[in-house]
Amino acid sequence: MLGAYACYYLFTGLGLDPFAALPVAMALLFCLGYVIQRYVLNLVIRGPMFNTLLITFGLEVVITYVAQIAFSADFRTVNPSYAGANFNFFGATVPLARLLAFGVALGLTFGLWLFLEHTRIGRAIRATAQNLIGARLYGVNPRHLYALTFGIGAALAGAAGTLYGVVSQINPYIGSGLTGKSFAIAIIGGLDKSIYVLAGGLFLGIVEAMTALYIGPTYTDVVSFGILVLVLIVRPTGLLGRTA
Amino acid sequence: VKFSTKLALAGVGIALVATVPWWGSAVLVQFGINALILATLAQSWNIIGGYTGYPSFGNSVFYGLGGYGVAIAMVQYGLPFPAGLAIGISLAVGFAILLGLPVLRLRGHYFAIATLGLAEVMTAIVSNLEIAGRNVGLILPLVKGDALFFELSLILLVVTTLAVMWISRSRFGFGLIAIRENEQAAAVMGVNTTLYKILAFALCSVFSAVAGGIHAYWITYLDPGSAFDVALNVKMIIMAVFGGPGTIFGPVLGAFVLSAISEILATKVTSLASVFFGIVIVAAIVFMPRGFADLVRRFRQSGWRYFQENIRTYRV
Repeated sequence: MLGAYACYYLFTGLGLDPFAALPVAMALLFCLGYVIQRYVLNLVIRGPMFNTLLITFGLEVVITYVAQIAFSADFRTVNPSYAGANFNFFGATVPLARLLAFGVALGLTFGLWLFLEHTRIGRAIRATAQNLIGARLYGVNPRHLYALTFGIGAALAGAAGTLYGVVSQINPYIGSGLTGKSFAIAIIGGLDKSIYVLAGGLFLGIVEAMTALYIGPTYTDVVSFGILVLVLIVRPTGLLGRTA
Repeated sequence: VKFSTKLALAGVGIALVATVPWWGSAVLVQFGINALILATLAQSWNIIGGYTGYPSFGNSVFYGLGGYGVAIAMVQYGLPFPAGLAIGISLAVGFAILLGLPVLRLRGHYFAIATLGLAEVMTAIVSNLEIAGRNVGLILPLVKGDALFFELSLILLVVTTLAVMWISRSRFGFGLIAIRENEQAAAVMGVNTTLYKILAFALCSVFSAVAGGIHAYWITYLDPGSAFDVALNVKMIIMAVFGGPGTIFGPVLGAFVLSAISEILATKVTSLASVFFGIVIVAAIVFMPRGFADLVRRFRQSGWRYFQENIRTYRV
């Protein structure tokens, strides 16, 4: 949601193209995510399991309503000159803005995967997820690392928000619904490799589109969350994963 | 203090609260009904979340089914309110047993997300049902009588709290606590974990469903978005955790304190109320992660250092 608004104000205020605003929005959200994790979430991270979830809910309430006061509750759209442009590809009409958004999202997902698999920091993140004390013994500073991880997550969510603003309408309340969807996608894909979200996302997207077309648009949530529950019951590791 | 004295004190307290509709203003009575219903919901979440250690996001489903049971019975079939409640309870218990069986096999975050998914599925299903009025919802017959609803909610809260009190000192309750602390060990000790978990889930579904039924009849209006609201579920969890999960009076206290804070904020600083409420939640979890009950218990030994100790224990 904040990424979408960052993009909106960069576009309307500075005339920056949404795709050029994307790195700026990511940088802003990274800083915010880093600070939140380092100075708030790190304080409760080893507390009772449920507290991290509740505290992020509290933060979501704060941010949503601050956004409502700052940006107003009006619907906004980011409308670059090519928003309506499309081209014909073997008989299928392809909207340009959506295709670009798809490409960028794909690139970011692959980028994250390569980052987690092949860089020093990526390895440190995965090691900490497996065993905090072990990682610490090998010289990882968990305070910094958790903050970094959350910052990267926030930056990617910000990028997604920017793209969302290009293809859809934004308001201060879009965040919580998208959080639910991202839980579903990550779990359906499987949590052991970050690239699995690609499979989860494509699968869920296609299933939702098919449901809307053949059963009715009001049934998409029945099907997508139904699949989430089924996957959790039958195969809690996700469709592609090995470990829960 | 002796147990009988405590019991007498509690009785006097309840009797005093019961007189509120006779001297309180209409605003106070309405606030009271909401607070009592939220306290009931927090208390029933306490059974599955606090004692058994299964953080359910599906309790809003029980609440919604209770409401819809009453609404459908009264609007579509012209049945009286108690019959509606019975239908609502049976729907909720049926749901708890049928879906608890597979879902209660999951643990921790997975259980939370699965129940969250179930809540979303139920919202979407109900908004497609003709008998439940689809997206638009149902309008119930109007009854004027806030006093009646106040007393009903109070009775419900007392019954729920008595049930939790019984749990906390019964064999069943010790079984649930054993499951929370270490499920495998509990199973080895001869606790039928599947049966216990489902019983706990079904028990909390009964109280949540009655709360939903009373609330729907009181508000006289029901729609899928508000009946199965996940935010309401988060609210019960926050209230239970604020007061102290797995204690008898913690969730009730948490519900009353947080309802009062949010009511005062809403009248004093209208536009910023939600922001402050969010900050209260964040601060509460940072400074008293084990709830108010734990604060009271340990503050005597540690004094103000209590807050510092908490942060030291749980930060990385």
